[in-house]
Amino acid sequence: MRVWPILLGLAGSAAALAQVAPHKPAVPGTPLDGKGLFQEKCGMCHGPTGMGTGLLKRRVQPAMLEQRTDLAADYVVAAARTGIGNMPAIPRGEVSDPQLNAIAAYLAAGKAPAK
Amino acid sequence: MADLVLPPGIDSTKLAAIKRAFAAAVGAANVFFDELDRDSYSDKFAIDDAHHHPLGAVAPISVEEIQAIVRIAGQYRVPLWPISRGKNLGYGGSAPMLAGSVVLDLSRMKKIEMDEENGTVLLEPGVGFYDLYDYLKARGLKYWLSVPGNSWGSVMGNALDRGVGYTPYGDHTSKICGMEVVLADGGFIRTGMGALTNAPTWQLYRYGFGPAWDQMFVQSNFGIVTKMGLWLMPEPESMMGMDVELDSPDDLAPLIDTLGPLRREGLLQQSPTIGNWLRAAAILTTRAEWTDKPGALSDDVIAAIRKKFGMGWWGVSLRLYGREGVNKAAYTVLEQAMAALKPMSLKPTTWLRGQPIEPTGWTGTPLTFPMQNANWHGGRGGHVGFSPILPQSGRRALDQFHRTYARYKEFGMDYQASFAFGERHLINVNAVLLNKDDPALMKRVDPFLRTLIADAKAQGYGEYRTHLDYMDTVAGTYDFNGAALHRLNEKVKTALDPAGIIAPGKSGIWPASLAGRRGK
Repeated sequence: MRVWPILLGLAGSAAALAQVAPHKPAVPGTPLDGKGLFQEKCGMCHGPTGMGTGLLKRRVQPAMLEQRTDLAADYVVAAARTGIGNMPAIPRGEVSDPQLNAIAAYLAAGKAPAK
Repeated sequence: MADLVLPPGIDSTKLAAIKRAFAAAVGAANVFFDELDRDSYSDKFAIDDAHHHPLGAVAPISVEEIQAIVRIAGQYRVPLWPISRGKNLGYGGSAPMLAGSVVLDLSRMKKIEMDEENGTVLLEPGVGFYDLYDYLKARGLKYWLSVPGNSWGSVMGNALDRGVGYTPYGDHTSKICGMEVVLADGGFIRTGMGALTNAPTWQLYRYGFGPAWDQMFVQSNFGIVTKMGLWLMPEPESMMGMDVELDSPDDLAPLIDTLGPLRREGLLQQSPTIGNWLRAAAILTTRAEWTDKPGALSDDVIAAIRKKFGMGWWGVSLRLYGREGVNKAAYTVLEQAMAALKPMSLKPTTWLRGQPIEPTGWTGTPLTFPMQNANWHGGRGGHVGFSPILPQSGRRALDQFHRTYARYKEFGMDYQASFAFGERHLINVNAVLLNKDDPALMKRVDPFLRTLIADAKAQGYGEYRTHLDYMDTVAGTYDFNGAALHRLNEKVKTALDPAGIIAPGKSGIWPASLAGRRGK
């Protein structure tokens, strides 16, 4: 597993992994917290040192989904439910439809206005 | 898309009734039978997408809901396939052995109870390594996890499938202490001291009184584990160690013969993993950056990749945990032993409590980037493992390496392997890196794996864990005295679960009523 120091050296921001705040479950009746859900459900792969960020870095910049300005909510939902590239599909038992919609809305909120 | 496959004896009318009954038990929002659901619960790294399609899924939140589902399944004789989080990706993921089974998705069950004084946790199946890591950090609890290379999955699911990590607590199954289990008749039990009402020792003493059943529910289909006790490692005062690279394939034998005695003696309490160059390189780069030639990589390509990343043919990371003074004394012994092997590099590392910590498997930090090897071929990738158990013998390991490497070349595969130490054994994990966009490669995978299983069997070796496609085959290799142990397993299965409600076919174990499904 000596790849870890090698890869972490390339990534350069590994310590941020430990700084991801734990997600607090939503109180029934309140809007779902898209950012918190993203961290809980997606952060392991789409955080600074995750598999998703590492692979996206080979194809697109910025690789961190939270920094993207081109993500539409429908696209996020479709990618998660059907899988995309090396990302496996995420079943509804793991991330419910309302949770995924909240995550998608959070990621799409950074979308640049149409020109 | 995953076709709708109905289990034996179920027609569309019964299916509608089953869905209604599940919805009444857990709520319609937690019952998933759309085509998209069947796809999302299928095997993401399947060698052949035609197999192991689930009928749908149902996601309970409590033991009571699981009991209700089991009773419904028994009434309609529809098989369930329990998953914790379904991230056992190289072995079938969330997909069932028997097509048409309903996935019992326990990922919503995420309760954590911790005994801070004794360093034990009682976990539900949906608790992932990241969940438990966040729980400890949020409370400032001075305990470390032991995590697998892909930490996306469930702590319980990993221990129940005998997953391994890289700290002294890396044999995860051995750290299980007490379970709660729902049986096929809907009843439930607690094992060990949990069988004694209100015992404060459920997570402290494994065995209870009389037979100890915890291992009966590991890699089995005798029940549905709904809670599991686990011991956590107290944060050490110090961690010291070294990352060692060795230049030649034949260095494997002396390396194993040097580390084995240190592991058995207890100087090394961690279980080191010796990995070949591709185990690291497949994460860092892609094949297309180095060659466009099909078939196994040539020696000159391997040399170029190793040179770029400064990798040995084999590498191993060794870590010592505990009091600083003890570690310093042990380090001296370890350094002398490793230097005697004349490694191409030996990089020391040291950490003291309070210093910034390396976020790696050796400190129990969950990570997912090792799964980047799924992109090695550039297409829709994945990996399947072939993992026989070997003795801690350098000669035997080297023979196994040469035999296996020759097969990789014969079948045109890129060799990725590791030799992971246990206390007395080695697990030789061989990864077959897939590319689902390369039909010619995919066609070679199944005969390749069956050849490896047969080669190992000829040496008296068997796998510790395998993909769904090979569960019957691997179970068949455990054939002493007319497969007496396997027959006992199936006798127990038939007694506990005659209709085959819980995970029929898991680990090659079928009840008598479904024996005809074996090997299909």
